[in-house]
Amino acid sequence: MADGERLPAAVPQPEATGPHWGGRARRPQPTGARSLRRYKLLFLLPGLIVLLLIILFPLLFTIRVSFSSWNSSAPGLDWIGAKNYVRLLADGRYWESLGRLAILATATVAIQYVLGFALALLVWREVKAKRFFRVLFLVPMMTTPVIMTVIWRTIFHESLGPANDVLALFGLPAQAWLTSSAPAVVAVMVVEIWQWTPFMLLLLLAGLLSLPREPFLAAAIDGAGPIRTFFRVTFPLMGPISVGAIIIRLIEASKIMETVYVLTSGGPGTATETSSFYIYIRGLRDFQIGYAASLSFAYLVIMIVSLTFIARALNRVLVTRRA
Amino acid sequence: MALIAEHLALEVDRVPYLDDVSFTLERGRLHTLIGRTLAGKTTLLRTIAGLQGIDRGTLDLDGRSFLNRPIWERDVAMVYEQFINYPHLSVIDNVAFPLRRRGLSKDVARERARAVLDRVSLSGFDARRPSQLSGGQQQRVALARALARNADVLLLDEPLANLDYKLREQMREELRGLFSDQGGSIVLYTTTEPNEAMTLGDVVLVMHEGRLVQMGPPDEVFDRPATAAVAGIVNDPAMNIVDGAIEDGVIRLDAAWSLPLAPHMRGLALGPFRFGMRAIELELGDSDDVVGTVTFSEVSGSETFIHVDTGFGPLVIQIKGVHAFPLGATVPVAIDQDKLFVFGPDDRLVAAP
Amino acid sequence: MPRPYTVLKYGAILAWSAFVVAPFLWALTTSFKTINGVTGGPTYIPWLQYQPSLAAWGSLFGSTGGIDIVQPYIDSIVVTSGASAISIVLGTLAAYGLSRFSYRLGPARNSDLVFFFVSQRIMPPVVLGIPFFLMLRFLGLLDSTLGLVVVYIALLLPIAVWVMVDFFNNVPRQLDEMAMLDGCTPLRGFVLVVLPNSLPGIIVAALFCVIFGWNDFFFSFTLTFTQTQLLPVAIVALNSSVTPWWTLSASALISVAPLVVIAVLVERYLSRGHLAGAIR
Repeated sequence: MADGERLPAAVPQPEATGPHWGGRARRPQPTGARSLRRYKLLFLLPGLIVLLLIILFPLLFTIRVSFSSWNSSAPGLDWIGAKNYVRLLADGRYWESLGRLAILATATVAIQYVLGFALALLVWREVKAKRFFRVLFLVPMMTTPVIMTVIWRTIFHESLGPANDVLALFGLPAQAWLTSSAPAVVAVMVVEIWQWTPFMLLLLLAGLLSLPREPFLAAAIDGAGPIRTFFRVTFPLMGPISVGAIIIRLIEASKIMETVYVLTSGGPGTATETSSFYIYIRGLRDFQIGYAASLSFAYLVIMIVSLTFIARALNRVLVTRRA
Repeated sequence: MALIAEHLALEVDRVPYLDDVSFTLERGRLHTLIGRTLAGKTTLLRTIAGLQGIDRGTLDLDGRSFLNRPIWERDVAMVYEQFINYPHLSVIDNVAFPLRRRGLSKDVARERARAVLDRVSLSGFDARRPSQLSGGQQQRVALARALARNADVLLLDEPLANLDYKLREQMREELRGLFSDQGGSIVLYTTTEPNEAMTLGDVVLVMHEGRLVQMGPPDEVFDRPATAAVAGIVNDPAMNIVDGAIEDGVIRLDAAWSLPLAPHMRGLALGPFRFGMRAIELELGDSDDVVGTVTFSEVSGSETFIHVDTGFGPLVIQIKGVHAFPLGATVPVAIDQDKLFVFGPDDRLVAAP
Repeated sequence: MPRPYTVLKYGAILAWSAFVVAPFLWALTTSFKTINGVTGGPTYIPWLQYQPSLAAWGSLFGSTGGIDIVQPYIDSIVVTSGASAISIVLGTLAAYGLSRFSYRLGPARNSDLVFFFVSQRIMPPVVLGIPFFLMLRFLGLLDSTLGLVVVYIALLLPIAVWVMVDFFNNVPRQLDEMAMLDGCTPLRGFVLVVLPNSLPGIIVAALFCVIFGWNDFFFSFTLTFTQTQLLPVAIVALNSSVTPWWTLSASALISVAPLVVIAVLVERYLSRGHLAGAIR
């Protein structure tokens, strides 16, 4: 089947959202709908209950723990009120880590978006061996991030790794990659970009392949060149998909921890310490579970609120501006 | 065995989809259900099948209530307008599918399936997939699957609507033969085409705006349409209906035109009425006749349909032969009062030729 | 297409390809080095700049002085396939329900429920790390494959639901209806008719589950210690300054090799147009 071909004609196209069965009627219905209701629950409940059990209770437990002072020297669930939250408000290191995360995540996702889109356009159509390149470009995101980061650590070694060699090739001075602040941040970004641009590529390419052909044919007939076509046709049509892809990547990016752990351990100093890493330090290294719980919960709330605002803003910019 | 419906009613967002529908369908008769689009035909079928719930009413098959039985326990077979087959099964397994669900072994089911596929002229297509077939063939597979079951109730929702004209005519012929073998089932076949309803059915049901307006043998529905709406629905082109009045001894169409009262109208009180005449019964007349101005003229097959405007309303005339009528030309229209239908102001039939 | 444009296009593709391939090539060449190839600066080409040796690769399977990655490999396979299988079964059922029926659990309706499932991915692992640790300790499942399977289900179930809801929305309802008319209960219809027509979706869901499950590091790191060790944890444990680079590189390469196969599969389904809906 060629790219983007629709379902074969033998399968009738469904309505986008069909009528649901067994919804609660305005009046009791004297039909077999009652037995449908039994199946309705059979489908949803097993998965829902399992998920609730595994996630909800731990989450609620975390909230409860955040009101305690559980740590390695005083293990146990006591009640100290909102003391942990007061402490976190004054915790400069926490807020710095949030700021660092915001900048790191936004910068990497922005770069990934531009690169990912460009790559998606490149392997979208009319390129020799495009399927080979698609596979190749997808490989990094399939690999285990931590394992690749281990390799990147050897690459960024100041004297024994190729990174500085490559710089020398372009006449640039060698950097103390993992031992000075700014280069460390750049190193983390390079690894993230290498690893996750393919994910953006995957989402955007899937979107491109699902676009209808007609607007492009119309543009070709009107004599639009590749650049005009991109800005007037491709980019606007990809609006909702772009928003979805960016949000998904932002959600994943905000969890950055493994790269930092392996590459820099948050260092030098706290130069690459993201919120997740700081929470990890407090919770699983210093074993201040109570405090870490409050940090986690606050982080979760901040994340959900920010992402909602970001999603809305992105929608306004990328989607609703084009009618 | 009979399917008896009483006072079925369904309202969605204050629009009546079914309005007090009652009927009795008997085994061994082919019932056709005709009505315009959105008249409620599909809703009725889906209600019988169980895919749709209703607000009020009862539906019984042989005395047992149908309504509180889930879909999969009613023995209803349905052929959709948009042919549905299981894409992942071969043709033979498609037709055998419902038989297997009823407990037949794979071999027995396939044997029965093969026999039915023979009847719909699809022998030899056993191993193909539906996606490899043409539209007409896919619809025949769907039909075979419905027929193979010998279900209690067999519903067909405009099954020929998505086929091209010639294919439709061919299949109509085949259907008549097929249904005569379905002695065991109650068959209900919907269509928007009067031709189909009249030629196929033993009993014709006419639906309009959610109501079952008339039910009876085809000639009765054709010769004695219960309302003007029915007359419009079961004639193709729709029956011409004009407003007029009966005055002393004449039928007054408008200030300028009147016709002598026909014998079948004697006995009607004086007053306003609505008069119906079939397009085919109007003819081009001579200079004494009603004059109409041509607004549209269309050739179909070997007949011409002329749409004219008269002083008392638009009319459609159907004449043999291929003729050309320029727009704006005036033509005399001969109306035979002996062929007129008369409907009261409430649209009910009061006199028929 | 004018010439300079084509040159630019292929140039960009090759440039990015070089970037993608670079770490693998570096690891590959490093894996054949010995101490002389590493000290004194980076070396690239075997025989010209250093003497290649198979020492690193040999030590992968040997028990003396080497590392054992066979057991972590097996553990990873067991945990990933177990959790993926369960997640797909439960997730597909839930997704089908959400696609066909309209639910009202209190104020929450279908779209809210889908959001609930999918939003579990927003949780940074670290937020769940502590409660999972305490929960597994309470259940006596720390440092076990079973414990990890339970935890991974929570991570992979949302993925299965996310992918399958959209797939099911693209299977016409009339198929379900026809199955019920032909005598199938909704469950039989689901198994006999809907599932066979959703195979691409299930495969995509399975691929994503396997990818995210296999590549997890944080949970296997915090929840296991000595008895169970998954592959990523095993590799990272080598990241001390004691382990020579060549062993490190060889182990890393062999751990990610299977994933290249997954990339091929994902690309195939991408090109067949099966992924678009999930994005929306």
